[in-house]
Amino acid sequence: MNSPHTPAGHHYSTSSDGGVRHDDGRYTGPDPAEPDRTGGHNLPATMGESRLTPAELQSVTFPRAPLGRRGYDEERVRSFLQYIERELAQIFSERTALADEVARLRERLSGVSSGGVPPEEAHFQAVRILSQAQQTADLYVADAERYTRELAQEARQYREAILSDAKSQAELLLDEAHRRASAVAETAAAAAPPPQHVPSGDPSSLPDDVRRQMEREIAYLRTYSEVYRTHLRSYLESLLRNVDEWERSERDALPTGATEPPRPR
Amino acid sequence: MDAQRLKDSFAHVARQGDAVALFFYSDLFVRNPQLRDMFPIGMSVQREKLLGALGGIVAQVDDLPSLVPFLQQLGRDHRKFGIVAEHYPAVGASLLATLKYFCGTAWNDDLAEDWNAAYTLVSKVMLEAANEDALRSPAWWNAQVIGVERRRFDIAMLRVVPDQPLPYLPGQSVAVETTSRPRHWRYYSMANAPRADHTIDFHVRLVDGGPVSSVLVRSLHVGDRLRLGAPVGTLTLNEDSPRDVLLVAGSTGLAPLKAILEQLARRPSPPRTHLFFGARTHEGLYDLEELSKLAMELRWLTLVPAVSDEPPGTLPGLHRAGTAQAEHGTLPDVVGRRGLWIDHDAYVCGPPVMVARTNERLVQLGVNRDRIRMETFAEAQR
Ligand SMILES: Cc1cc2nc3c(=O)[nH]c(=O)nc-3n(C[C@H](O)[C@H](O)[C@H](O)COP(=O)(O)OP(=O)(O)OC[C@H]3O[C@@H](n4cnc5c(N)ncnc54)[C@H](O)[C@@H]3O)c2cc1C
Ligand code: HEM
Repeated sequence: MNSPHTPAGHHYSTSSDGGVRHDDGRYTGPDPAEPDRTGGHNLPATMGESRLTPAELQSVTFPRAPLGRRGYDEERVRSFLQYIERELAQIFSERTALADEVARLRERLSGVSSGGVPPEEAHFQAVRILSQAQQTADLYVADAERYTRELAQEARQYREAILSDAKSQAELLLDEAHRRASAVAETAAAAAPPPQHVPSGDPSSLPDDVRRQMEREIAYLRTYSEVYRTHLRSYLESLLRNVDEWERSERDALPTGATEPPRPR
Repeated sequence: MDAQRLKDSFAHVARQGDAVALFFYSDLFVRNPQLRDMFPIGMSVQREKLLGALGGIVAQVDDLPSLVPFLQQLGRDHRKFGIVAEHYPAVGASLLATLKYFCGTAWNDDLAEDWNAAYTLVSKVMLEAANEDALRSPAWWNAQVIGVERRRFDIAMLRVVPDQPLPYLPGQSVAVETTSRPRHWRYYSMANAPRADHTIDFHVRLVDGGPVSSVLVRSLHVGDRLRLGAPVGTLTLNEDSPRDVLLVAGSTGLAPLKAILEQLARRPSPPRTHLFFGARTHEGLYDLEELSKLAMELRWLTLVPAVSDEPPGTLPGLHRAGTAQAEHGTLPDVVGRRGLWIDHDAYVCGPPVMVARTNERLVQLGVNRDRIRMETFAEAQR
């Protein structure tokens, strides 16, 4: 079935999710018997033991991570989805077994001309069973997709809200700083002698007390603007740290994030 | 084979909606349980595609010149799913069983004969194209991820290297499958002109809740494996044209246009080229830094970044993006403001609304429709 370019033989390799990719393109998923490595805790109590019902699926809630890290705990969502996948895979193998069973029964029946279910009817019955199973599976998948979409949208909104909040705070700070700076400048101008007494820009020609006062104002302005700049800088830096941290924690939430050294918090 | 009889019977069956494809797949899997593994767990999208494709085929069954190329492409496309000749009879049997079931008393031997002949013809055309394609290229390319750069929390640039060279034209796309979302194929555009080392770049934007893009953007790592289908797409450079070039990219719609830009740069004397790169926010201009560098080096290139939802220069320093000052406005507006494109070839790629409006605006400005090539990222999959 493969093209001449594809190496012959039946090699396979293990994929990152523990499933097996065969050379012929078949892909066998992770072993359902394997213990859950992602830690399925905090999922509905029934998980792992009995069958999942649609009602339980509706009542699932995911914990929010602590504020300052990020909005939602992706790993929980991920393990939940993996759980659903396993669950569905099981439903399918059960259905296939059922279908096989029906086929066997049908075969046995086909020898019998009278009595029992006619073979064609048995086949339609199998088709109906499989159709129902498929529709259930489609519902599960659609629910899971809608759920992750909503989570992602909320997380995005939350992130945007934080950013725009931060931006308007920074703008407020800037406005406030400008207002104070110009107030100070006005005071300084009012305190200074009329312009005609300052023929050149040379402060050495000013009377001593005026000069001293201007120097004080200038020193004040300098200090103020420095303080303001430091203030603004540290504010912006903490903002950036916040964003970086957000991103990092999102990365860390991914299974492979564990390879990064733990950060002191 | 009576075309009208086929159309009438299909119209009758198709009125029964999703139940038809549901029956078809269940019948197929009851008879051939081993085929179930080839399809994803959720099947609603597949059912729509199947009904859509069958409807299209039946509608054109008496118009072979348009039907045949479509079927050939479909046949080639099926190679990457691992479909081979042996699979076709099983699908044919279930298709006939489905039609029979839903036609009820209207079903008869003549109709069965018509459908059998039609399916035989369709599968013959698909298989012949697939077999011919197999002489030239593999069913899919295995590729390894050698670079992942997250440019924003929802945009990543990926670099992959295929096991064997994957020939393509700048502007084209390939279907991609990742090992963590088996059987989910999605199209992504190559973001570079072919290189001597055969490496390929992709720009991927996370679609909220999207099964494949979220994995590609957030959890892909160097060393991960992907499968790539054969290149497709017509958003390619018109090599014969002497005209100047206008490139309009919305978000990751930049990918194919960047490949075209690289192709232009390899010409001995490249045409004068304008590249408009737009996003809603400054942060969305994820590749601005590199594009700015390019624009400084290449005298024939003018770069115009545009941002629609943010005033042009709020809080410089917060976005590390770029050196150039972005224009304010949506891409169609900014492109329209910049003037006369009548003598240009235009290439437009991005979200559907942006592509449609840019196209409209260019036509209003007098650009000949034949000189505008475009592609949208959202519609083809579903
Ligand atoms: C020819 C072609 C080339 C493409 N090239 C690129 C590329 O270079 N980079 C890239 O990031 N994407 C590209 N796409 C889109 C890509 O194929 C996927 O659709 C996208 O990454 C989402 O995949 P998903 O599996 O996460 O979600 P899907 O299951 O595909 O989509 C989930 C939902 O989101 C909608 N949707 C899909 N894509 C978008 C979008 N872009 N904007 C808004 N809504 C959307 C779908 O209609 C669906 O309702 C291209 C698509 C096509 C047809
Ligand atoms: C008349 C013949 C056929 C028609 C019209 C048809 C139609 C289609 C269409 C339109 C798609 C979607 C393509 C895409 O998303 O790119 C598709 C996908 C697919 N087809 Fe077929 N097909 C045919 C034969 C077969 C056969 C014989 C098989 C073998 C079992 C098969 C298995 C698949 C699979 C596995 C997919 C991928 C599903 C997915 O998108 O995940 N098809 N088919």
